[in-house]
Amino acid sequence: MSSSGTVTSLLARVAALAVLIVFFQIGVVSEVPVFGVNVDLSPLLVAFVGLLCGSMLGALTGFAVGLLVDLALVQTLGVTSLIFTLIGFWCGRLRELRDPQAALTPLLVGAIASAVSLVGYSLIEFMLGVDAPVSLELLRQIVLGIVVNSIVALPLWAIVRRVLEGALPEDPRRRRRRRAYTTGGLSPLSRA
Amino acid sequence: MYDKTVRRRRAVLVLLVVLSLLLLTAYFGEAPGGRLHAVQRGFLTVVSPIQDGANKALKPVRDLFGGIGDTFHAKSQRNQLLKQVGKLRRELVADQGEKRTYRQLLGIYHLDQLGVNNYHPVTATVVAKSPNIWYSTVTIDKGEAAGVHVNDPVINGEGLVGKVAQVASDGAQVELITDSRMGVSARIGTGTATGIIRPKVGNPNDLLLEYLPANTPAVAGEYVVTSGTVSSHDDSLYPPGLPIGQVTSVNEESAYRSVNVRPMANLHNLDVVQVLTSSRGGRAASLAGLAASLPAGQGAGTGGSGGEQLASTGAGG
Repeated sequence: MSSSGTVTSLLARVAALAVLIVFFQIGVVSEVPVFGVNVDLSPLLVAFVGLLCGSMLGALTGFAVGLLVDLALVQTLGVTSLIFTLIGFWCGRLRELRDPQAALTPLLVGAIASAVSLVGYSLIEFMLGVDAPVSLELLRQIVLGIVVNSIVALPLWAIVRRVLEGALPEDPRRRRRRRAYTTGGLSPLSRA
Repeated sequence: MYDKTVRRRRAVLVLLVVLSLLLLTAYFGEAPGGRLHAVQRGFLTVVSPIQDGANKALKPVRDLFGGIGDTFHAKSQRNQLLKQVGKLRRELVADQGEKRTYRQLLGIYHLDQLGVNNYHPVTATVVAKSPNIWYSTVTIDKGEAAGVHVNDPVINGEGLVGKVAQVASDGAQVELITDSRMGVSARIGTGTATGIIRPKVGNPNDLLLEYLPANTPAVAGEYVVTSGTVSSHDDSLYPPGLPIGQVTSVNEESAYRSVNVRPMANLHNLDVVQVLTSSRGGRAASLAGLAASLPAGQGAGTGGSGGEQLASTGAGG
């Protein structure tokens, strides 16, 4: 497949995934409270797209998903876009700089993305003048939100990776690492 | 080449952040009838049928997950409900005598005209719900085309649910009573003192009835109902007497008393709601009719708080 074909396929898959997950979130997931809070799949989706596709696509996906959420739920336009753009960009940079391969990376990234989303949202709402006291109950909701989002992070990561895998461009660094593993190139002895 | 990539990446980030901030500032600064709000309403109009379809198609999935969750609470709910049934039976016996007297009064004052049916209720299905702890909102499948307007009260079989915040032609957004932007004037069922009921932030199961006079009697288990006024408007948005919740505990603070209230309506499982599409006009007209129907010399008294009391009694029944 040509380079432009790969990019088009990737964009189409990300767009379809975003629309499906946002509507599934609004129509089903939001109606089913877990431990008294709702699972929020959208920051996880943005984080995982960033983690798989890099900072640029991560940020663009974050902006688009945020806009879709704000439009569909009739919320203040721009708030979710701003937070999700930063989450997508940060996850993309994490991949570009460190490319973490541990099995629990998605769980940790999902938890951090959820925390940034919940805390960021609360901060912006306070800055916009919502008349509400900071209570222990609010903190409890934020902590529980992070926990339940972390629970669904791994299954969602598997779905997002499976959908996007076929359209991801070959990464030279990963190819090198794979070759190094298979040929024993990572051994310090072989480097000497 | 590397520099170009870095520059492009930074440019995209800055562009998206600036765009978000511009959107936020413009949206926050404009009036509810502004362009961005209009775009949002247009989007709601387009996606409402899709959401409606998706909602119907995904209902079995939602019921499955909801059923699993409900099973965990079933035992405690059963015990609680058994206690409530016993209490309600006792109350029913006591109330039957009062009900007879009340019916006679209704006949005298024609207060049946103030029932909920006179507010032209429009039945709607909930098609989407916000997952955000800052926005307790739901989207319904009825809009302007069905006569729904901004600020119309929304109820279900259990009590007050919220009010309409935004309207599109075939859909509307409803702010629930647990939304941080809500404030409803309310009173405890047996008393006359009114306070403002607001959500306890971050706790979707609790409301707070504030600014009650310090000597207001309040006992756990008493019902809290709308008093017929709203905190930020002079005119009533809500018909008087709509049940909101039950008192759970009383806080003794400063010069005012505040009361914790558990909402009557189960806001987690809203499927069907009713929008009272003529709450203000209907009530005003009814009160005017009522005042006119009273014998000479009594009509003037109903224009003020007396009229509010009669209206409260009528709708509360």
